[in-house]
Amino acid sequence: MGLKKNNDDLIVQQGPGFVTTSVDKLVNWARTGSMWPVTLGLACCGIEMMHSAASRYDTDRFGVFYRPSPRQSDVMIVAGTLCNKMAPPLRKIYDQMAEPKWVISMGSCANGGGYYHHSYSVVRGCDQIIPVDIYVPGCPPTAEALINGIIELQEKIKSEESIANG
Amino acid sequence: MAKENYIKLINQKLSEYSHSLLSSDHDPLFLVEQSDLVNICKILKTDSELDYSILIDICAVDYLTYGQADWVTNDATKTGYSRAVEQKIIADDDDEFPDRFAIFYQLLSISNNSRITLKTFTTKSNPPSVPSINKIWNSANWFEREAFDLMGVHFKGHPDLRRILTDYGFIGHPFRKDFPTNGNLEVTYDEDEEKVVYKPVSITTRPSVPRVIRKDND
Repeated sequence: MGLKKNNDDLIVQQGPGFVTTSVDKLVNWARTGSMWPVTLGLACCGIEMMHSAASRYDTDRFGVFYRPSPRQSDVMIVAGTLCNKMAPPLRKIYDQMAEPKWVISMGSCANGGGYYHHSYSVVRGCDQIIPVDIYVPGCPPTAEALINGIIELQEKIKSEESIANG
Repeated sequence: MAKENYIKLINQKLSEYSHSLLSSDHDPLFLVEQSDLVNICKILKTDSELDYSILIDICAVDYLTYGQADWVTNDATKTGYSRAVEQKIIADDDDEFPDRFAIFYQLLSISNNSRITLKTFTTKSNPPSVPSINKIWNSANWFEREAFDLMGVHFKGHPDLRRILTDYGFIGHPFRKDFPTNGNLEVTYDEDEEKVVYKPVSITTRPSVPRVIRKDND
């Protein structure tokens, strides 16, 4: 968010005490600054997700803090192995989230079944159940990797044209 | 108490019932008849000298392919490791399971600092069954449900023998050796029906044994 004269910037300074921006950029700035994920730790990735939220990595810096209710959430971080039995509840939680909503698939199991790909009880990727925006690889991904995924999602949101395309 | 004396004491207490010591290398392992199981467990728990107050775990074992090794070889195999791929399916409605399933009970006596294992084979009928010991140790409740869920062993007299781990409506018992590793169904989201639906599994079974010839087998 520099104050340079550049069309890519959020705010363009037109003169002393006078700046302009586009509504799209302002809306996306607000969205990327307060991505509240629904707390959905399904397996060991959930531990790494907690690390990313705790004081050492502190995703609060990005306005990311975890909500206990899907109604208050913007992002779903699927952190861990998605079992067949959990698939309907996961879809229900996703459906309960208010628009706009995004999904980060965290770790090998959520990305494609991972270690349990050939199992009788595991969904081979959570994208079988819900649409996914960002895939974070790793088993489990480090807290830094998850934060990188969050930043990538912010970049993706910034490139969206929310007003023009509804 | 020395282990030898301890085994003697158990033998003496259980002298009414047929039982045999299978192994005493570590903790003693006794084979008992499943018809005597409840009485033996009652003695082990209530006898003040034995005092096996805690049931640690219940395990079920499927001996269907016991002793068959499909990757012990010193040369490259021409036939491949077929057992893992071509599954020998034994239909669920088989009349008999001769000595196929065994149940193991791990017991702990705190006052004697002693652990023993009881082993019992199920009935040969289908479904295989053993008597429930839920009335003796309450902790058996969920252990028996788990063994029923994964191995299909019925525990006669269990108050609430439902599945505990697998999906609602799951068919089959996944830890049985004739259950395909991939399962039979997988879940996906149906955009038209707007719900999660089941469909036949889309991947094929593949061998899970390593294709490695080890020279040190010689």
